[in-house]
Amino acid sequence: MTLGERRNVLKGLLFISPWILGFLAFNLYPLVASIWFSLCDYSVLSQPVFLGAQNYVDLWRDPVFWKALRNTVLFAVVAIPLSTLLSIGLAILLNQPIAGQGIYRTIFFLPSLVPAISLAILWQWMLNGPMGLVNSLLRPPLQAINALFGSHLQAPDWLNDPNFALWGLILTGLWGTGQAVVIYLAGLQEVPIELYEAAELDGTNSWQRFLHITLPMLSPVIFFNVLMSIIGALQTFAVPYILTGGGDGPGRSLLFLATYIYQNAFDYWNMGYASALALCLFVLIIGLSLITVHYGEKKVHYSGR
Amino acid sequence: MKPTHSSFPWFSRLALILLGVLFLLPFFWMVSTSLKPLNETMKLPLEWLPTSPQWHNYPDAMKAMGPFWLYARNSLFLAFLNVVGTVFSSALVAYGFSRLDWRGRDTCFFVLLATMMIPFPVVMVPIYGLFRALGWIGTFQPLWVPAFLAGAFNVFLLRQFFLSIPKDLSEAARIDGCSEFRIFWQIILPLAKPALLTVALFQFMATWNDFLGPLIFLAREEQYTLALGLQALQGTISGTPWHHLMAASTLVLLPVLVLFFLTQRTFIRGIATTGLK
Amino acid sequence: MSGRIVLEYWEKWTGFEREAMARVVEDFNQSQEKIFVRFLSVSRIDQKMMLATAGGVPPDVVGLWAINLPSYAENNALMPLDRLVRDAGIHQEEYLPVFWKLCSYRNFLWALPSTPSVTALHWNKKMFRAAGLDPEKPPRTIAELELFNEKLTRKNPDGSLAQIGHMPQEPGWWMHDFPSWFGGPSWDGDAQLLLDALPNCHFFGWLESYSKRFGGPAMFQLRGAFGNFASPDNPFFNGKVAMIMQGVWMNNFIKNYAPADFKYGVAAFPEETEHPGAPMTSAETDILVIPAGARHPKEAMQFIAFVQKQKNMEKLCLGQNKISPLVRVSDEFVRNHSHPYLRTFLYLANSPRATPTLALPTFKEYANDMTTYVNLVLLGRMSADEARLAMLARQQKALDAKLARWNQVAPARVSRWEKEVRP
Repeated sequence: MTLGERRNVLKGLLFISPWILGFLAFNLYPLVASIWFSLCDYSVLSQPVFLGAQNYVDLWRDPVFWKALRNTVLFAVVAIPLSTLLSIGLAILLNQPIAGQGIYRTIFFLPSLVPAISLAILWQWMLNGPMGLVNSLLRPPLQAINALFGSHLQAPDWLNDPNFALWGLILTGLWGTGQAVVIYLAGLQEVPIELYEAAELDGTNSWQRFLHITLPMLSPVIFFNVLMSIIGALQTFAVPYILTGGGDGPGRSLLFLATYIYQNAFDYWNMGYASALALCLFVLIIGLSLITVHYGEKKVHYSGR
Repeated sequence: MKPTHSSFPWFSRLALILLGVLFLLPFFWMVSTSLKPLNETMKLPLEWLPTSPQWHNYPDAMKAMGPFWLYARNSLFLAFLNVVGTVFSSALVAYGFSRLDWRGRDTCFFVLLATMMIPFPVVMVPIYGLFRALGWIGTFQPLWVPAFLAGAFNVFLLRQFFLSIPKDLSEAARIDGCSEFRIFWQIILPLAKPALLTVALFQFMATWNDFLGPLIFLAREEQYTLALGLQALQGTISGTPWHHLMAASTLVLLPVLVLFFLTQRTFIRGIATTGLK
Repeated sequence: MSGRIVLEYWEKWTGFEREAMARVVEDFNQSQEKIFVRFLSVSRIDQKMMLATAGGVPPDVVGLWAINLPSYAENNALMPLDRLVRDAGIHQEEYLPVFWKLCSYRNFLWALPSTPSVTALHWNKKMFRAAGLDPEKPPRTIAELELFNEKLTRKNPDGSLAQIGHMPQEPGWWMHDFPSWFGGPSWDGDAQLLLDALPNCHFFGWLESYSKRFGGPAMFQLRGAFGNFASPDNPFFNGKVAMIMQGVWMNNFIKNYAPADFKYGVAAFPEETEHPGAPMTSAETDILVIPAGARHPKEAMQFIAFVQKQKNMEKLCLGQNKISPLVRVSDEFVRNHSHPYLRTFLYLANSPRATPTLALPTFKEYANDMTTYVNLVLLGRMSADEARLAMLARQQKALDAKLARWNQVAPARVSRWEKEVRP
């Protein structure tokens, strides 16, 4: 390295030094420390005691861990496609030449501004079994169906029923999907109009245009969004935690890996076990992200980039 | 650009109106409940509007939360420090990653991107231990000092913006003998105002909304943020005072809404760019 | 205030319960000039106290629950009080045995009681009358309870429940103690959980019978419609549930929220097998502790000792309408007490079979699991045996791990504590 090069490197490092510090203190050190703690019995108030792989053995045999893992993956796998579909749909609707587009955009965006604490408390109320607004809206159509087919469908007690609690959370999440709508809308507006005009001249219908123009042009945006959603969904904590009043839901139906880490660390003070769980969550995030990148990159259409 | 016309204009419009109403309903229900007397909140079939609006629910809810204004001050204090810290440090780091050429830069940037895959729950146990060793538990430091050490996502955003500023500007200044920091401070930063504002807004929201951080780092009630104060209200054993909870939730949401409507255009543009780059 | 040592005292209480203690704190601050107690209400106090203590900034005195005690002591979060208590001239014999027991763990004393409670059956006399039952005769056995339950339960035309005689999940706060009413505890006090012993088998079987008889979803649907606990819509006041297990504080809510014509009775909660003269009750108590690392332990003890004086303790318990943990009860206390069933509660607290609540070192994990599995059984989603065995497997392992850990640190820990409490 020449002197000039060395000076450049030094200058660069000086500028990024805040990040380097942050990286060492809040990324690298915690990851390494987690590995060490995960091999120990550790309760913060006393020194770690080495246990070997005991925490991992326990984890393997812990049905609650598997439950949390299942819930976490299930939530990601169900909620992300749903919210992606909903937000692309809304973006396409918004992209029509309709009066008041800005107002609609604001309406769909607003819920994503609501702080997690307010959001969760509001939806705890919305999803209340007998008194909730959601069920009040559901009951008339359900009664109509029951009358027609002689069925016995009932509005669920969302947050008290192990079968429905996760769906309640997903509903909550769908309401807050506005950021993605704005992003997709911006993506749609970057699609060159000539493409549509040319396709129209070729006599294609709107579905074909969506499939062959809109979707490919939007694919990089979708890819990026899905990737970010996966990372977000896998660390979900605050909303389900508050929805359940600081718990994990009926039959642990709203127990996620992040919740279980929190419980072990700050309710039971099993920091060692919590660290083992944290590393599992980390591996899960890396794994799912890599899978997405692997399959996504092939499908993504980068126009001229 | 816009597609010339929709095949089903009336259908689109109807769908938009219906969905718009659905998206607004929870807001409406929140405010409506917040103005009802308690017994009316638990009445079936439910009433859309309170028979007579109970405006005193708001001061009552604030009182039930405890020192509401103290919580608000704490939230604002933390938001302010976080915004200042993040904007400054992220801009500095983004500058190093975009306007300077040096060996190893792209490797470092790749590492930075990779750190976005390490969410807080993964690292919170050792970080708690770290702050404990520093004697910071039960103080505000854990909630604002890290902001001065740049956040990966914000660096990423600002870097994209800095890259779009012509290189010649810096070169000219360098020839004039400007120090690198002066170029950063006096030339690039003023040009990057919209991007910086976006980062500031995002950070304000993130701090205002943060729940897990205050939950594990703060011990004393006088240090609570609004989010924690609201959770404490939810947790009282005597059941759920829905009218108060809705009033308090509205109050916590309100500053965010005000900020949004004041900066709507920057906000929306900022969000749109995050997804496109 | 200048020149005084300022103690920080955290309490969980709010409202009138807080006010009662605030008056005692005020008395203490007036009674001397060296110490000033700063009295703060803290929500989720168990967690906040742990965070502050782990962070090295503990308050001086904390009002916790007795169930917190074992895990906090083992986690090194508390200061052993034996010497301080001895020096303050406080003796074990002054306390009802069950409450003293709740303050001790592993042969050390970690706390002194503040306001205690014991559980009892509360029944709605009007509903008894309406169902053709003698409103003065509560059930004395579980079998009788269920007999009454059938009579007291009403269904709507659509098959849903309109009211129920009794269901274990209302309020469901003592699930971990319930097996005691079926003949025995859930823990041997040492290394073994007794979830495969008969009492627990019977208890879980009893839960299962509820989902079979009333339908799990129907019970939870009824419960979902319950109003606020602290409101006139409390299911016990407004005739949704006729019989509940509750503590001595329930009367405060009845006084404030129940309709004027509400009449209720209190008796020992029925057991599977009746024990005349020695009723079963589970006892718990709010406690005062000094966190490890507190800066002024001596002064903190001085305050705690002040609260323990009969006069002050009775002032506190009277203010909260609870019973006193002390053996000696003044006539004045009984005379001024507004609880119509004070004597019943005192009788229960003095019963030789008054049982300390299940204070496991793994209490939080245990209680958390209990809620989950009990609800699954009540919902009819898991059989009694399945749930009980799953619970046993998980919780025995958690306890084993805790004990293994304890055994590793015990020698050093105990010798340090012993040094701390030596005269």
